[in-house]
Amino acid sequence: MIGHDVFLPTPLPVLCVGITVMLAATAWRRSVNRSFLTGMVTLLLALVFAGRHTGTALDNGDSLFIQDQWANYTAILIMFSSMCILLMSWRDDAHDRTTSLVDEYPLLCMLGTLGALTMVFSANYMPFFLGLEILGVSLMGLVTFRHRPVMPGYEAAMKYLILSGVSSAILLFGVGLAYGVTGSLRFMPPVTIGDISPALPVSATIMILVGMFFKLSAVPFHMWLLDVMEGAPVPVAAFLAVVSKIAIFSSLVRYFGTGNQPPFLNDILYVVIILTIMGGNLLALRQTSLTRLLACSSIAHVGYLLIAFLCPGRLQSGAITIYLLAYTASTLGVFATIAAFATPDGPDGTVIAQWKGLFFTRPFLASALSLMLLSLAGIPPGIGFFAKFEIAATGVEYQRNLLLGALIIGSIIGLYYYLNIIRVMMSAPSLPSASLNRHVRPELMALVIVLTIIVVIGGLFPARALHPLLPVSAIPSDTEAEMTMR
Amino acid sequence: MNPLPALVLLPVLGGGLAWLAERIRPHTGAPSRNASWWMMLATLIVETLLLAMVTFNHPTIRTGPWLEHFSMPWIPTMGIAVRLDMDGLSLSLIWLSLILCFLCACLATRQVTVKAGTFHLLFLTTLTGIVGTFLATDLFLFFFFWELMLVPMFVLIAVWGHEDRQRAALKFFMFTQGSGLLMLLSILGLVITHDRETGVLTFDYFTLAQTHLSPTLSMLLMLGFFIAFAVKLPLVPVHVWLPDAHTQAPTAASVLLAGILLKTGGYGMIRFNIMLFPDAAMYFAPVAMGLGVVGVLYGAWLSCAQNDLKRLIAYSSISHMGFVVLGIFTGSRMGMQGAIIQMLAHGLSAGALFLIAGAIQDRLHTRDMHRIGGLWTAMPRLSATGLFFAVASLGMPGLGNFAGEFLVLLATWHVSPVIATLTTVGLVLAAIYALRMVNRVFLAAPKEDQRPLEDLPVRQMAVFACAMIFLVVLGLHPQPFMTFSAPSPLPVMATNSEGDHAP
Repeated sequence: MIGHDVFLPTPLPVLCVGITVMLAATAWRRSVNRSFLTGMVTLLLALVFAGRHTGTALDNGDSLFIQDQWANYTAILIMFSSMCILLMSWRDDAHDRTTSLVDEYPLLCMLGTLGALTMVFSANYMPFFLGLEILGVSLMGLVTFRHRPVMPGYEAAMKYLILSGVSSAILLFGVGLAYGVTGSLRFMPPVTIGDISPALPVSATIMILVGMFFKLSAVPFHMWLLDVMEGAPVPVAAFLAVVSKIAIFSSLVRYFGTGNQPPFLNDILYVVIILTIMGGNLLALRQTSLTRLLACSSIAHVGYLLIAFLCPGRLQSGAITIYLLAYTASTLGVFATIAAFATPDGPDGTVIAQWKGLFFTRPFLASALSLMLLSLAGIPPGIGFFAKFEIAATGVEYQRNLLLGALIIGSIIGLYYYLNIIRVMMSAPSLPSASLNRHVRPELMALVIVLTIIVVIGGLFPARALHPLLPVSAIPSDTEAEMTMR
Repeated sequence: MNPLPALVLLPVLGGGLAWLAERIRPHTGAPSRNASWWMMLATLIVETLLLAMVTFNHPTIRTGPWLEHFSMPWIPTMGIAVRLDMDGLSLSLIWLSLILCFLCACLATRQVTVKAGTFHLLFLTTLTGIVGTFLATDLFLFFFFWELMLVPMFVLIAVWGHEDRQRAALKFFMFTQGSGLLMLLSILGLVITHDRETGVLTFDYFTLAQTHLSPTLSMLLMLGFFIAFAVKLPLVPVHVWLPDAHTQAPTAASVLLAGILLKTGGYGMIRFNIMLFPDAAMYFAPVAMGLGVVGVLYGAWLSCAQNDLKRLIAYSSISHMGFVVLGIFTGSRMGMQGAIIQMLAHGLSAGALFLIAGAIQDRLHTRDMHRIGGLWTAMPRLSATGLFFAVASLGMPGLGNFAGEFLVLLATWHVSPVIATLTTVGLVLAAIYALRMVNRVFLAAPKEDQRPLEDLPVRQMAVFACAMIFLVVLGLHPQPFMTFSAPSPLPVMATNSEGDHAP
């Protein structure tokens, strides 16, 4: 069956070709700039072909891949984020002469993106798991790219290796059980056929869910994220926070569908969401490192997203869509600002105290960062405001009162630590201004400007981002009818 | 052309110009600062002209209909639109905002020397948020503006404030935003209930007002709104942000905070608590009135114990806002009118007092009343102005505050004589703190090390005189203001017909 199934969403082969070209070029002569350029061009091409595919999907849904609006949307988000991340790290590595191994950096970035895209498009356990592993293995390499100081980078990579291995094993076990129950590798929760006891599919589902929670770093499976993101270079931290989370969240939605979840899943999700929101926000309170703080905030944002996931209904699709966009744009914005702030031999912007007085020395950068942080906190005019509003709306629609309570408390705590960074930037400058990076790289400036525009325009006119994009098959028919009515 | 969107957007656009005016020649110092200031003044003048046009375009103003209506789709899939409506209440509160902004522009913002352009931009952005809050009749839009005005105010306090500014700014933001989230839930609850009933997802104020709610749900939703407004107003258990924020803010921001931002809380209570949930509000009224009395007494009592000039005025604001809550929740027309008059008068008197406190701080570099004294001989004009507004704030008959407080007390007496009696104690305390301030600051013997001080220039006196005239008119002849500023009834309440459309 698999043999003659050639249905492939075009971005995947495009990326594969690009990566092969990069590999071949590296073998011929090493050049960091050329690798970066190849990567950018490949991603651009893949973006252009985002909605296309080759071959035809099988009617019975047994294809390896699936391409619908949801997959396309998250794929576009992933490719856009990868481009931003490549742009952020370009000069970083090109100017760093301490190591000669920099060609691998764009290569691993592209491989990670390929893995993420594979997960997004997969309709079968096989490509999903392959994608997950491609993403995981390339990330492990990427995490070690922080040269100064060396040890935290290796430590982070080691941690990532072990925990990612453990979670993959759990997930794989779940997949195996699911296959045992249903005899099919289709990417959907196993249902009992015949007289097999329900314990088997339930435990398979839970194991797969736990594996996904590990990758999503939902509390209580979040321990690795903080250390890994702190140890990784800034752009790689962005990759971890954005690309891999979008990919896994997209797969989560694809796997469990957007309808009502079975009761046992509901209960698990309820607990995990509350823990994730509270845990992420509380952990963030006492962080002094900006990347660690962003790791915590990304944990909390996963919690908010899961609220929308748990509340199927008319508003769910719009909420998830816009929240993903808001989270991606704002988080990338923060990381781009950090990258713009960093200097080759000065502060790298990951310690919050280094940002002191930035409003007076670098007003634009400080304003952009404040806007992004406010957007993450859900304050107008950033897009995050509308996104959080939508999440709250889905919660109210389903009367998930406990979750709403967690959302509010989490938001208030979140507001405190986001504002705290802004407060630091507003206090009187202590650094002698000479040590500041006066020459912001133009491409980073452009990136920050573009992301700022996305955040503001998205916040003021969010109507365009509110398309029903979630996998259609999973939406209950009555809701669908309502949607077409509207 | 409809003037309402222009009214909302004009300040922020003007602020942008003011910011640019300073950016064009960033190193010239005073000239570019002046350019930025002139730009702000011009913006305010245009805004005032626009508002005057709106005001005098309507000969039928006395009958109390909605004066202007503007609607434009914004997020159609969610039923959100840019809906702006104006009635007498919002019109009078916008007038108050503009008058206070003029006071600030003439008396306070020129002293800003650090990044004056940004200061003006933020100041005018706050004004946009405030005007938008007063005009929005789409609940989402209202919430948007409600949150939006916090950001520039936070920056104003955190960058240009006094010693402990950042903690105060953080506290201010956290309190108002946190309570705002409860309001968000209430808004969503109301919208979704309406959606379940009729299948129409809309945030339109007028449509939502007809939602049939069970008493429990209605009470819950009302409470969500009430808590948000109570924090902003502020009522006593949730007032802790106010003394810090008012004290630490730069003068112009203090004036905005005390003069207008607090009024958005009162406005919200009238517009949303009373008019959207009349039954629940009446049921809740005893609690609200109790909180109001506690606010009156507690604010006044603490005000008597303050030595920091701005802190004293801040606590007196809590006391005066207690009257507003009392008036609003008496449920009578008279109480409502009293509350509105009180809001207008308090905006003027507290705003002016903050300006005077700012002027004193500029000259003496302290707000500690122990270290200020006997300013009357050195600065007779400033002292006389201070005396006038202090007396206004203690409720001298013939001035606006008295009219408001009297109406509120009268209305309260009809509901509960006990509460009215208790509230009068607040008036006595008001006399104590106001006169104590006057004694300490203006009348006491001059300090030994008094340096020669510069009195208020005549031009600034003229500006203060305008505020005094308003207060006197408000006190001697409040009737036109009372009829003019009454909130328009909801069209459905008046006609009881189907009112899916705004008037």
